[in-house]
Parts: sequence; C-alpha cells; structure tokens
Amino acid sequence: MSYDSNPLEIDRFQWVGKKVGFYGSIFIIALVSVFPVLWMLITSLKQPGNVVTFPVEYIPRNPTLTNYQAALEQAPFFRYMLNSAIVASGTAILDVFLGALAGYALSRLRFRFKLPVLLLILGTAMLPFIARLIPLFSLARSWGLLNDYLGLIIPYAAFQLPFAVWIFQAYFKELPDSLEEAGLMDGLSRIGVLFRIILPVSAPAMATAAIIVFIYAWNEFLFALTFMTEDQMRTITVGIALYQGEFQYPWGTISAAVFMSVMPLILFMLFFQRKVVEGLTATGKA
Amino acid sequence: MADSVESSSGSGYAEDPRRQNRLQRYRDLRFSEEELAVILLTPVVSFLLAVSFYPIFDTIVGSFYQGYVLEMTPKEFVGLENYRSLYGSGPLLEQFLSGDGFWNALRVSLIYTFVSVPIETALGLGLALLLNRDFRGKYFAQAAILFPWAIPTVINARIWAWMFNGQYGVVNDLLIRIGILQTPFPFLAKPDTALLSMLFITIWKTSSFMALIMLAGLQSIPDTLYEASRMDGAGRIRQFWDITLPLLKPTLLVALIFRTLPAFQAFGLPYGLTGGGPASATTTLVLFDHQITFNRLNFGEGAATASIITLIALGIAMLYVGTLYEPEVR
Repeated sequence: MSYDSNPLEIDRFQWVGKKVGFYGSIFIIALVSVFPVLWMLITSLKQPGNVVTFPVEYIPRNPTLTNYQAALEQAPFFRYMLNSAIVASGTAILDVFLGALAGYALSRLRFRFKLPVLLLILGTAMLPFIARLIPLFSLARSWGLLNDYLGLIIPYAAFQLPFAVWIFQAYFKELPDSLEEAGLMDGLSRIGVLFRIILPVSAPAMATAAIIVFIYAWNEFLFALTFMTEDQMRTITVGIALYQGEFQYPWGTISAAVFMSVMPLILFMLFFQRKVVEGLTATGKA
Repeated sequence: MADSVESSSGSGYAEDPRRQNRLQRYRDLRFSEEELAVILLTPVVSFLLAVSFYPIFDTIVGSFYQGYVLEMTPKEFVGLENYRSLYGSGPLLEQFLSGDGFWNALRVSLIYTFVSVPIETALGLGLALLLNRDFRGKYFAQAAILFPWAIPTVINARIWAWMFNGQYGVVNDLLIRIGILQTPFPFLAKPDTALLSMLFITIWKTSSFMALIMLAGLQSIPDTLYEASRMDGAGRIRQFWDITLPLLKPTLLVALIFRTLPAFQAFGLPYGLTGGGPASATTTLVLFDHQITFNRLNFGEGAATASIITLIALGIAMLYVGTLYEPEVR
C-alpha cells in the first residue's frame, strides 16, 4: 500500500479479501460434501457405453434414462424403499412413545434408584450391536420374525431407545415447574398432567427423536442384512449393497439405483435440516 | 410453548362437559410419584433387558460353547477353547503386530478408530468454527455439509468404490489432471492404500457430523464471555484456548463417544467397499466376527470375538467418561 492511500480503502480491500476467502472455503467444503452424490447423478445419466471411459467424461453426452430403466427392471427398488420406510417409521413411533414415558419419569419424578435406572438405560447405548446379533437372530427365528418388519423394528427400537430417552429427559428438564403445578391445581392427576399438558408441548422433542431414530433405522445394515433374507423383504441399504449384475459391475445401473435411493434423503435433509441440527444440539448438550 | 399451555388450561377448559368427564377419569387414576415412575419405566426397562442385555449375556455364555445357536451340532461346553483358538500361537506382542485372523482384525479396527476419530474431531471443530457465524446462504451450506452423514454407510461404500475404481474412477482422473499421478492407481487393490482409502471415506463422511455436534456446543457458549475477554485484550487464539475449548469439553465428550464406539464397530464400509480385502487389509473386528459366524458358521468363536468387542467397547466408554466427565455444577 502506498503511503498516501486512504485507510478506509485499505479496510475495504481487506474486507473483500476476507469475504472471498470465507465464501470460497465454504463453497469448496460444500462441493466436496456433495460431490460423490453429484457424481452418481452424472454417471447415471451417461449412455451405458460412456460410463467406463478414461479420461472420465464430466458432462454426460446425450444424457439418457436407460440406466434408471435397467435398475428398476432388475430389482424391486420401490419395494425396498417401502420396506425401509415401514421399518423406520415403526421404529420411530415406538421409540417416541417409550422414550417420552421414560424421559418424563427420569426428568420430573422423584423416586428411589433413579441414578441406577438412568445409567442402565444410557449404558445400553455402549453395548456393541454385533454382540446382540446372534441371540436376537435365533430369537427372531424361533418367534417367526425373520423376514418380518417387526423382526427389525424391535431390535432397532431397543438400540435407539437410549437416545430417545436422553432427548426427552433433556427437553423435559427445561420445562418450567409452574406448567405442571397449574395442571395439578386444576385437578389433573400426574398421568393427566403428562398426557394433557407435557406431551402436547413436547412436539419439538418428538420431532427430533423421531428424525434421529428414523435416519438410524433407514441406514442400518448389519441386522437388515441378517434378518431379511427374502428379496421382497430387503431394505434399501441391503438391496443396494447386494445389487450385482450378471457378469461385471454395471456401474451406470448401480449409480442410477444409488441416486434413486439417496434422493428422498436429500429432500429430507433440505426440509428438516434445522430439526436435525436441533436434535444434535439436544443430544450434544449433555 | 407457554402460549399453548395457557390456551389448554384457560377458562373455557373447566366448563366443557366432555372435558369434565375426561378429567374425572384422570382423577380416578391417581398414583404417587414413585408408583408412576414404576409404571412409566417398567416397559422401557424390561424392553431393554430383553432385547439388549439378555442377548449380550447369551453371547458371553455362548462363547464357552461349541456348536452354539443354530443347533446344527449339540451344544458342548469347551471352556476357554474358543478364545484360545482366536489367540493363535506365539507371544502376545508378536501376535498383535503381525498375526492374522483375530489379531489382524483387531489391528485394523484400532488403526481405523484411532486414526479417523482424532482427525474427524479436529476437522469437525474447524468446520464448526467456520459455520458458527451468520452469513448469507448458511442454511444451504449446513444442509450440504450435513449431507454425507445422511447417506447410509453401505451405500456410501458403493459410491466410493466406483469413485476409487482402479481403471475408470473419477479420483484417478482428478489426480492425473492435477498432476499427482501419471497413470491410474488401483487404490482398493493394494493393502496399504485400501485401508487409507477407507480412512479417507470415513473421515469425509463423519467430519460433518462432528461439526454439527460441535456447532451446537459452540452456540451454547454465551457471547458475553468473549466480549469480556476482548476487553481484557485477549486475541482470537487466546480466546480459543481459554474459553472455547474448556466450555466445549462436555460436547467433545459426547462427540468422541458417539464416534469412537461406532468406528470401533465399523462393518458397512469395509463390507461394501472391499469386502475386507485385499488380503484382509480392511477386515475390521466386526466384519471378521461376521465372517467367522456366517461364512464359517463357527458360532463359538464368533461369540468369543463379540464378547471381546463388548469388553473393549466398554473399556473405551469408561476411559472417555473417566477422563473427560465433569459432574454437573448445580
């Protein structure tokens, strides 16, 4: 900078530089984050002959939907997605219900053995899934729950219950005491207070718990792979993982299948991003 | 929140006869706090005991038997035999450093966990600091950055298997274009680079998750603390060490536990990316356990491995809680 330049101009120059640097880094990070999915979209739109070329084609010439057609013909993708949706919603509903009950008791009631019960519930989250797989597999088999939605909903709900309980108890702890006192004065019982006052105002906690549990159940692989052996009962993650062509990997078709399966998640994230962040806040605050 | 409560217990509330009727029914269900706690917690606790604790117990018991679970051969008590066969032969350190089977899987899992988690934590913290300001387009930036976390691990593995493809992969193409490579490199076909690729993918996926947990933690730190320290002449770096990091400790604890335990139990990524190869270079403990249980149908050794995984996981959790936990100040 020359000696006589205006100090305000220098500030302005630095300010622009900072802005460019900041937005530039945000843009690069965002691009790195979405690139793999973008790449699946690009691959899926290529003519089947243009998928395996090197150097790679970055903009598909003569884009086509044949890969999507092939993917839908070779595996029941919508059935897989429906299975995932049923399992994930069932798990979320069960966990919201049980989590709210336990969360209320742990945050707002006085009783003996509260700490041991809390530790028992939260400690469950530390237990490895693989150590529960085989006994649950043989239980599910003897109860006829293999290839049954309940066979996945029950273990998933149990695995995610600690998180749901944690979210609810953190949320209930912040509610003012006057809320419940008013209800009790009006002549409601404790259960009445829970169902008529507390639960109606806990929609934010319910949404967060439901979203986190839903995403977990939608993404789970180990149990879904083991418990659902019939093709028609597979969830989308297992369906995609086991998807193979007859001779070699048909990457164009796989890309189409992957993109179709990730699409709902993309929309979900765009719409519920704030909720997800709030949910992580609730669990992250400890 | 307060508004909706007032409206539901407002003046019209007591007069409505249908509500009166319901009220009466609730009045008849009176319990002490203790009784109510038992009623509310019994379903949850019994559910967890049945679906989480019983299976673990069963697995530990099963690790002392042969021909366990599918009853294809009669159960036979073999004591510690399953653990002994996992151990192999030779001194402990030698087994750990160069052994195969269980020891190789333990080594892979430990490398995978303790390389990826610190890097994810640091990157996540950096990202969180970057995102912890107000700027235009923050909503989209956050959605984009949270993106990798929402993609199912095993589908993610499939995506990257294609991108890392040794002949036609876009990673090879990009690296050649910027001059790092001369010819395509088969990343997933060489033991060392396969593990490195797996580490790269998991760091890519979970840094965003770490960032969001820490962003939440950062937002709970009151601005007044920063203002006060600025008055005292503290610079940004000083503020980071004296305010940000200490107050972020509880969040860090949660983030570390949330990431370390799943990383130690990685299954979907190696399964979908390389199937554990080449030559077991990416076979994690859980994948190894899955292979001996379902491919070799050796349920006793499978249960023994699962029991060891349980012990190590509890050890990791206790280590974190012991070093980082601070009792709530109330």
